[in-house]
Amino acid sequence: MGNNKEQLLRDIGIVDFVLTELTLYLDTHPFDRNAMEYFNHYNRIKHQMEKEFSMKYFPLNTSMAESNKEWRWGMAPLPWEGVCG
Amino acid sequence: MQDYLYDNNIDKFPVAMAYVPWQRFDKMFDDLEKAYCTGTIFPELDKPFTGRRCV
Repeated sequence: MGNNKEQLLRDIGIVDFVLTELTLYLDTHPFDRNAMEYFNHYNRIKHQMEKEFSMKYFPLNTSMAESNKEWRWGMAPLPWEGVCG
Repeated sequence: MQDYLYDNNIDKFPVAMAYVPWQRFDKMFDDLEKAYCTGTIFPELDKPFTGRRCV
């Protein structure tokens, strides 16, 4: 997977796309175990990647915004500031 | 969601109705980057329009 910020952010976006697709499928196939395994697998991957991104750069959502010295969520760059790639 | 097997129940289906076969999913694309650019992770839904007809 990616190493620098833009690549990691793009990879998170791609895994998020995969999860959206699987969600749409599972909504109409709620007993498809195979699809559920795929979903669980990629869901864990996305959480790991988001956690990694949050530690290295800034939190992508408030659930990853645990802070001590400064309020990391508030200090994170805003999307329209062109930092999010 | 009652699933009528399309192939051997076709005679029971009323005419003048549209039917969408139920999606059977087995394996998704391995290359996620390619799937993302293709616009789907499902090989069975990858139907690029070729200017005249879908493949």
